[in-house]
Amino acid sequence: MLRLERIRDDIAALGQHAALDQQNQGKVLALARRWLADLPDHEALRQHIQPLLSGASQWGGAIAVTDEPLSVPIPCPGMPPDGLVVVGVDGSQIFPDRHALVLYYLLQVGALLFRYNGTTPSVHTAEWLHYEERELFDARGYLMGSEVLAMERMVKEMEVLADLLSAERQAAPGLIFGLSDGPLLWPYMDRDSDATQQARAAYLGAIERVQRHDGIPVGYVDRPGGQPLLELLWVSQLPAEDLLQRSDQTPLGRLTDEQFLSEVLSPGQRTPWFTRRTAANQRHAAAGQEIWFCYMALGSAGDRAIARIEAPAWAAERADITTALHAMLWHQASALDGYPYVLARAHEEALVTTQDKVALEQAIQRQFLEQGIVAQPSNKARQKALLGKR
Amino acid sequence: MPSDDRTITIGNVLRADIRGFVVASRIPAPEVPTFGTFVRAPIQQNTAELVGLVYDIRLQDDPFLRNLAATVFPGDPRSEEIIRDQRENRVVPVEISVAAIGYRFGATGTYIYGFPPQPPMILNQIAVCADAEVREITTSPDFMRALLDNRDIPTDELIPATLLRASTLREPDHLRYLIQAGRYLTHELARDPVRVERILRRIDHA
Repeated sequence: MLRLERIRDDIAALGQHAALDQQNQGKVLALARRWLADLPDHEALRQHIQPLLSGASQWGGAIAVTDEPLSVPIPCPGMPPDGLVVVGVDGSQIFPDRHALVLYYLLQVGALLFRYNGTTPSVHTAEWLHYEERELFDARGYLMGSEVLAMERMVKEMEVLADLLSAERQAAPGLIFGLSDGPLLWPYMDRDSDATQQARAAYLGAIERVQRHDGIPVGYVDRPGGQPLLELLWVSQLPAEDLLQRSDQTPLGRLTDEQFLSEVLSPGQRTPWFTRRTAANQRHAAAGQEIWFCYMALGSAGDRAIARIEAPAWAAERADITTALHAMLWHQASALDGYPYVLARAHEEALVTTQDKVALEQAIQRQFLEQGIVAQPSNKARQKALLGKR
Repeated sequence: MPSDDRTITIGNVLRADIRGFVVASRIPAPEVPTFGTFVRAPIQQNTAELVGLVYDIRLQDDPFLRNLAATVFPGDPRSEEIIRDQRENRVVPVEISVAAIGYRFGATGTYIYGFPPQPPMILNQIAVCADAEVREITTSPDFMRALLDNRDIPTDELIPATLLRASTLREPDHLRYLIQAGRYLTHELARDPVRVERILRRIDHA
């Protein structure tokens, strides 16, 4: 039980801290706006940042990849073309719990196939129940962690997308987008265990399969963190001789691209495409799947939702694909005030609710009883379940 | 609702007591049971089944739909696929309240009217009774006994709905069935003639 009265002063201080942060943010936002307006032309900017792109520099800022002016937002091109298909996919899971009556984990992927031809969208779900020791424990005998499960989930989502896109391609000659909730860039590059390498290979293989079926994988990151665009603005202000030493000394503090672009982009507008020279993206590039990204403002004037859109370079460099993607995302997000409808529905289909979990464990328990096995959750789990009902 | 001998599973028990239970259901709108529908639920470790009547159907709050209501409009071509998805793919989350009226041991035992020895357990599945079961349950007007004592539910609306449903299963003797039921009510509610008249009028006006 939380005794609010004991932390009342801290809550008040937190409020004051937030007000101060907002005040400071106003100042750094104005600074970043000025830097955006002062950006040199593309060629000059490319030459200026060249020292950061070679040698041992770890700079991870945004690199413009098209010739569109960075300071002029790109407006929404209108409605998506007839016949375009978008497949939204999302996943959910039950984590393995050593206090449960039996050790298992479950993954479920849900998808919605949305065709711009006036027909009823199709729903698809797939699930995997794992319970064998080799699936639950790693080579050192540790129970599977949440990150390993997250990797497996990401792979399964992309594999389901590849399957659905391949089936849909038989009937749909136009553009087919596969939209997943989260980054398209594989985010587990730092920890290179065997399991990570296998999962990454499977993931890149699934993306390649999407490409082979003429589908376009797209990652949708809602309220993204990070500041690669602001890092570019900062280095654009540095004298050439200071680039390597001061590229990580931005005076913008913790201001993110999302916070900055909330002030710059109007609903429906997007930025040009960018790429980054990170280790993760270089591994994608080595597999022919370099990732480009842009930011898009969805939602309404009073409640702007900035999303980072990630797509493979081979798709993003095509103007027809970029235009259709922009129009489709704007239409999808307009229905739900800032979040794509297909992703919201895919999430709803994928979601394993608490009630689903109870029903699954009752079914497992019945199966155990039929086999003459008596299994119980741990005393701690039982006690927590009782307290949880309060 | 079907009027043949098919049974439909409508959902899981969410909470229960001796006098009734609430079912959480996510089924397509055409299959949501109507007021007065007979349903059954397993009790006593599946050795018996409880029979009850639907007396309340409550649509649960659906935040998803609330968001769409302001942005999606029927007839607008930009909304066509979304409306189709909502109508044909998404199911309506409903809570269905059921009043217990009797039970029987085994699938072929004789019905015992009144409250069951035990309520159904949480997450047991509930099914709509087939016509043959409804005919059997309503053979004796005593099936109304538990309802007459229950003042927490809309009994005076529920009994007419139930009797009319039971009578249609007895064509061409439906009138005789209703007259017998009326006599039963007159006897059981002898001290409350106003209430009897109110129930009978609702049957007459249906």
